[in-house]
Amino acid sequence: MFVSKNFKVTLSFVLIGLLSLYFADLEISTIDTTALTHDFFFSIFYLHFNDYYLLLEAFLKTIAIAVLSIFFSCIFGFILSLFFSSFLVRISLAFIRAIHELFWALIFLQIFGLNTLTALLAIVIPYSATLAKVYAEILQEHDSFSNTLRGKDRLSYFLYTKILDALPHLISYTRYRFECALRSTAILGFVGITTLGYYLSSSFMQGQYHEVWFILILFYALIATIKIWFNKYTFAFLLLGSFLYLDDFGGFNTANIKRFFTQDIIPYPIKNDLGLHSTLSWFENIFTNEILPGITNTIILTQASLLLTALLSLIFFVFISSKFSNKTTRISSHIFLVVLRSTPEYILAFIFLQLFGPSMLPAVLALMLHNSSIISHLIGHDTDVVQLRIDRTKRKTELYFYEVLPRVYAQFLAFLFYRWEIIMRESAILGLLGITTLGFYIDSAIEDFRLDRMFLLLLITAFLNIFVDLISRKVRNYLKIKKNIST
Amino acid sequence: MAFSLQNESISYDNTLILHSLSLDIKRGEKVSLLGKSGSGKSTLLKKLYELKKDETSYIPQELSLVDNLSVYNNVYIAKLDQFSTLHNLINLIKPSHTNINDVRDILKSFDLEDKLFTKVHSLSGGQKQRTAIARAIYANKSILLADEPISALDEYLSSKVISILKDKFETIICALHNVDIATKHFDRVIGLKNSKVLIDKKCTELSKEDIQKLYYVCE
Repeated sequence: MFVSKNFKVTLSFVLIGLLSLYFADLEISTIDTTALTHDFFFSIFYLHFNDYYLLLEAFLKTIAIAVLSIFFSCIFGFILSLFFSSFLVRISLAFIRAIHELFWALIFLQIFGLNTLTALLAIVIPYSATLAKVYAEILQEHDSFSNTLRGKDRLSYFLYTKILDALPHLISYTRYRFECALRSTAILGFVGITTLGYYLSSSFMQGQYHEVWFILILFYALIATIKIWFNKYTFAFLLLGSFLYLDDFGGFNTANIKRFFTQDIIPYPIKNDLGLHSTLSWFENIFTNEILPGITNTIILTQASLLLTALLSLIFFVFISSKFSNKTTRISSHIFLVVLRSTPEYILAFIFLQLFGPSMLPAVLALMLHNSSIISHLIGHDTDVVQLRIDRTKRKTELYFYEVLPRVYAQFLAFLFYRWEIIMRESAILGLLGITTLGFYIDSAIEDFRLDRMFLLLLITAFLNIFVDLISRKVRNYLKIKKNIST
Repeated sequence: MAFSLQNESISYDNTLILHSLSLDIKRGEKVSLLGKSGSGKSTLLKKLYELKKDETSYIPQELSLVDNLSVYNNVYIAKLDQFSTLHNLINLIKPSHTNINDVRDILKSFDLEDKLFTKVHSLSGGQKQRTAIARAIYANKSILLADEPISALDEYLSSKVISILKDKFETIICALHNVDIATKHFDRVIGLKNSKVLIDKKCTELSKEDIQKLYYVCE
């Protein structure tokens, strides 16, 4: 019997996903879940906030940090993209990208303390690395001018034949990253920076759900109106305003940087010259008690979420596809998906954690809802442009399995494998909320002020992420599907 | 002599495309290059371009236009090396009247004047080809190497374009698919088949048998 590559890959991932779901701890541990959920959702009808001035400050700070972050990230990202052909640059950037912005924030908190500088660096560093990679790919794709015709004035030719051709794509991707930067800035509130996430988490902890909804709706409005207030006419004002609005850049201290690199992150037995035996036993202890369970749980959460993301995407896209749904269904589904897409996984997980208690369930729900909303949006769009015969079947189920799904399945897998690395990175970071993935152990190490342990765990997290990225690439090559999706 | 190849073998991507090729093309000659797809026409043109880059304008089959630039800037690209980098940068923001007029004059003859500041991605296939041809003329060189430059043009425009090219360039070597245009407008025809030159004669001497051999007879 002929078995297609798509089928083999799908079956492998379904089996791994089912196994992960079997081992995942998906228990609901809150006693009054139903009442809590009811209270939470009904609070949307009583919107208000205790201190509007405080909220306005957080709102402006979120915008200002995001604007400055994207400004510096696109400058550094562009410069780095010009050197992307160098293996050393590529591998360094992959490493930087593999560490989530919240982890970067935790590192800089140790060096510079709780201030604007920490917030900016936490976003600028991983974002520059991501932008460098995507910019390099865009510049490579937009190279329609023949090398044979290229003259001697390299700068002029680079500008005329590459930059200007790629410019709309560079701008469009940067704009998308700005939306991401807003989300990242908001969740920096969870580590103490006073952006919207800070008040969202404190309102939730106090059970002030109407305030949580107020902040969430404010945030959705901010994201939904991006095109109006973040464009070529407003950018200069936003940039200047952000520079002027933000203060508290202090905290830059070379002695702290030096201490961090030469003392804090050096393994304790090496720093105190305790010999090889002590060093090995130090490592063995961390490996057995933290690295191994951390990696196992991160993989379980990732694979279970990946499977559920896939299933949900295959259902969701039907509701936004013109091939299956009427206009009313499509519009309401679009709004639902945009809301899910605009809510960072971290915030979704935080909400579910309060409602269902600590287990993998909140993380799985958050990851599958957020990621499937993105994938189903893309697939739904793809199905809209599929041209079908006039004499096609009128039955929806047959249409789905015989006409539409086979046409978009390869692209669906491409999107899914592209999100795989992102799900893995998020799975690790959700440990900060108490789910025992690698992030949980990193957070505990920081709380105990054992930065050597933190650093080792961060390295492991980065390598795990790079490893998944490599497998994802191999799978995409095996399936011969589009290598990159810059959305 | 414009080009002189003696017993040259030309490879592309480690595959031998043309074998032991000997060819002389005099200055002033207008040569059409015929042969089936994959016979080596493009490879030969690229080789010739490498030999005399400074004197030659080259129109590749894929045209090499920059989609997001206007027709004007796509034509201007031909002279990037002749102006300073600063001039090139300023040109992107505010082109000089002289440059605009020079390009406009060329576009006029191709019925493309109204598209001067239109971005290339919104042009039709034929308009794109004419833009690439205008770029080749703007370079102001004496030799033209063109790889099927009129494949998307109708008969009227094809004849018009070739007449202009013959007027602007001293020497032309042009790969074509249309045998009638080749014989009508050019002096000499070179036919490539199976990695070799099968025909090399004056257009007036080209027979139906030659065409049969070149395109239809399998050896």
